[in-house]
Amino acid sequence: MKYFVPKFCPGNEKGLNINQAKTQQKGGTHMLTRLSDINRLFNAMDFFRNRLDSLYSDVDWTYTPGLNWAVEDRFPKTNLYEDGELFEIRAEVPGLGKEDLTVRIQGNYLEISGTRKSNTPEKYSIHRTERDITSFTRSFTLPADVDSEKVKATLENGILIMTLPKSEAVKPRQISIA
Amino acid sequence: MSNRTDVMKTGEKNIEKTRKLDTVQPDVDIYENEEEILVYTDMPGVLKENLKVNIDNGTLSLSGIRQLESRGAARWQEFGSVEFRRNFSVPQTINVEKVYAELRDGVLRLHLPKSEAAKPRMIEINAA
Repeated sequence: MKYFVPKFCPGNEKGLNINQAKTQQKGGTHMLTRLSDINRLFNAMDFFRNRLDSLYSDVDWTYTPGLNWAVEDRFPKTNLYEDGELFEIRAEVPGLGKEDLTVRIQGNYLEISGTRKSNTPEKYSIHRTERDITSFTRSFTLPADVDSEKVKATLENGILIMTLPKSEAVKPRQISIA
Repeated sequence: MSNRTDVMKTGEKNIEKTRKLDTVQPDVDIYENEEEILVYTDMPGVLKENLKVNIDNGTLSLSGIRQLESRGAARWQEFGSVEFRRNFSVPQTINVEKVYAELRDGVLRLHLPKSEAAKPRMIEINAA
């Protein structure tokens, strides 16, 4: 199993509570056997779900699990990392040169904007255009203030990488014990 | 976090493990003129050596693997290490020998020239 899936466990608190409540109402023992039938059913479902999970990872076609790909509509997609003294933000900006991008920083406010020139070559007929991003703006509130003087930005293979050192006031400080 | 880097490291070394990467379909633009078919594909973060372009029996398959090394703790993450993969059917009239590709700014530009026989030809009319 790759990730945690909450399971219906016959022995857990919730299961027992249901049992107790039902037996009080009906007062019969046959209800208990029915519940165990349901439990058995859930076990079977868990079994199939596990099998399906492993099947998906074996088959090599597009399968988009997790939350990473749930925000498809935002452009550019970004990652923010925090590493003690600095933040690092990365953004997917395929096809953009450094002259096409503008970055503004003020305190903990960061704005990335840009335009992608149409790259449709002349005298070609168009079959398909999915890469239709023309201009965009995306702004972020960083978890802490950054020193805008020391920000470095590089563009590598269509990914914008910015290192943003935190401003002195919010940097972690080592405390010596007297 | 430590778990993830382990997975990615084995992914680099072990060919079988790379299949465990999430697969996504990259966006493409396709253009055509009399000379060639042009395919532009967004593959941000893919290095040249991790990119494979294959034409076999009328199927063009693109596969680019992006390995991201993380730095510190992730506050949010909207993209990760993935395999960009997409297949197309191409007409048999493509001159496979002359196909060439360039990768710049995370965009793959693939040129598929048409073979001489497939190009439209102006027929001269001789006056009898």
